Amino acid sequence: MTILFNKGRSNSGLVSVQQSSIIAILIMLLAISVLFAGANGSFDLSLFAWLKGNSTDIQNIVMSEIRIPRVILSALVGSSLGMSGAALQGLFRNPLADPGLIGVSAGAALGAAVIIVISPAALTESFLGPFLLPLAGISGSAAVICLLYLLTKGFGYQGVTYMLLVGIAVNAIAGVAIGLLTYISSDAELRTLTFWTMGSFGGVTWRLLMPAVILILSAMIYMAPVYRKLDLLQLGEIEASRLGVDLGKLKFRVIISSAAAVGASVALSGMIGFVGLVIPHLTRLLGGVNHNYLIPGSAILGAAIMVCADLASRILIQPAELPVGLITSAIGSPFFLWLIFRINKNDY
Amino acid sequence: MTIRAISISAEIDGIPLLSDMSLEIVPGEVLALVGPNGAGKSTLLSVLAGDLNPVQGSVFYNKRNIAQLDVQERAHYRSVMSQALPMVFDFSVKDIVEMGWLHNGQHYSSDHFKTAVQQIVDQCNISSLINRRFNTLSGGEQKRVHFARALLQLWKCEDSLEAKYLMLDEPLANLDIRHELSLLAVIRKAAASGIGVLIVLHDLNLAAKFADKVAMLNQGRIVGVGVPEDVLTTNLLTSVYDVPVNVKPNPLTISYY
Repeated sequence: MTILFNKGRSNSGLVSVQQSSIIAILIMLLAISVLFAGANGSFDLSLFAWLKGNSTDIQNIVMSEIRIPRVILSALVGSSLGMSGAALQGLFRNPLADPGLIGVSAGAALGAAVIIVISPAALTESFLGPFLLPLAGISGSAAVICLLYLLTKGFGYQGVTYMLLVGIAVNAIAGVAIGLLTYISSDAELRTLTFWTMGSFGGVTWRLLMPAVILILSAMIYMAPVYRKLDLLQLGEIEASRLGVDLGKLKFRVIISSAAAVGASVALSGMIGFVGLVIPHLTRLLGGVNHNYLIPGSAILGAAIMVCADLASRILIQPAELPVGLITSAIGSPFFLWLIFRINKNDY
Repeated sequence: MTIRAISISAEIDGIPLLSDMSLEIVPGEVLALVGPNGAGKSTLLSVLAGDLNPVQGSVFYNKRNIAQLDVQERAHYRSVMSQALPMVFDFSVKDIVEMGWLHNGQHYSSDHFKTAVQQIVDQCNISSLINRRFNTLSGGEQKRVHFARALLQLWKCEDSLEAKYLMLDEPLANLDIRHELSLLAVIRKAAASGIGVLIVLHDLNLAAKFADKVAMLNQGRIVGVGVPEDVLTTNLLTSVYDVPVNVKPNPLTISYY
């Protein structure tokens, strides 16, 4: 399968000057979105008044306990989906390897759903406390990635169709399991579960957010050394190993860090579709295909876009809220179609 | 300092493909592997490159057993050019060539790196391709780019005396005669600079003319090794290829139709 993006420029060795400036622009974009998302919402409050300390008590609480954690969470989830999408596409040598499409997000949702329905008390009582939900999500996503690894014979170059079929199967299996859990759940559990299937950043608290922040940031740091190896892997597994890439270590690192980032994200915010697919492609179009630009670029662009999508979900039909997963899928799915049209048809 | 294979046997999925082979690649020399289809040429190359572990025997890179070398250390001893997969993402030709750069303590920003890339690009005659997208190149052009990458991998950064080796699996397929000759000239030059070359060739006349030594393989065994005049004889070729072959000396010319 070959996709020709004529505008993509790249430089495998180092991040070029041009790419550094694109990253700088993306960072500014993220800063602007964060400020904008902090300043707007269904509750009327002024960011500047809050910063100056001219706000009422209730405004302070809305800002520090509701809006700020929510903006942070949306940025983190966007960056972990973007980053894992980029890394998984590189690892699978397949431009359709989105954590949602191939079932990794569904696995994470299943892991989280099991905890919510089977032992809701553990969430507050067990010694793991707020870490339990992200950990369950991570176990679910790691299990799916391992399954994919076995089914695709070590992520070999199997073609798009095969990969997508495996993803459909995994999604279906996870869907059945979540359905069963929904069926046996109580009313309260049902409400919590619904929050996964739609995808939302609402209701996050600092207590739930901090473990996810730690996990996602560590996953990003853990993934950092593999950038060049992912470039070399594009030559094929044998070629990469002849160039000194230890394939086992590389796969382990990418799988564990993606599973951690996606698992923690999904556990807190539910399944948010197409971000992991679309963001890396946009990032490639902007600046190039080498991973030492692509992975940080996707993380930053993902964060910026997710913060904007969450803002849209909060203000479009206020005082009600649109599920953010609906917004990303509405934008992402036409893009997915466009991508399929660009894929060289001869390679199926 | 050589690459030495000592009585290696290899199999894939339980099917024995090589038995009891011993071979030596000497720095500065071009060794051609010839033989009919299925004789085990590519399998032997994989074993020598370290992609496939032999079931018996050992391979040594400059006296170090490759079973004790990790993939990174192996990469410093030898580079391999074979039929590569198509690139999924749109890398430039420059990216692909630069992928051959092993750090060697010299980072990409170093002048050393720039000199090395420039020199190899000139040597391989691909400067007109360097800014193009790799996926838009023809098969032959892609081959030349991968060759440049393999050559860059062997670049000596420090004044290391350690010999390096280049392994090529049918590098001339898809090349027109002009590029065939220019690639052979670059390989020759690499050998002259002290690199040991192992090349799998189909064309017997080319092997006779180009190689310093020839190893003839048949049914997983080496049936002859030495200078071309000693190995490419009427009797051996006729029995190995099972067609009437006529060999004329001075210059060594092999005709079979």
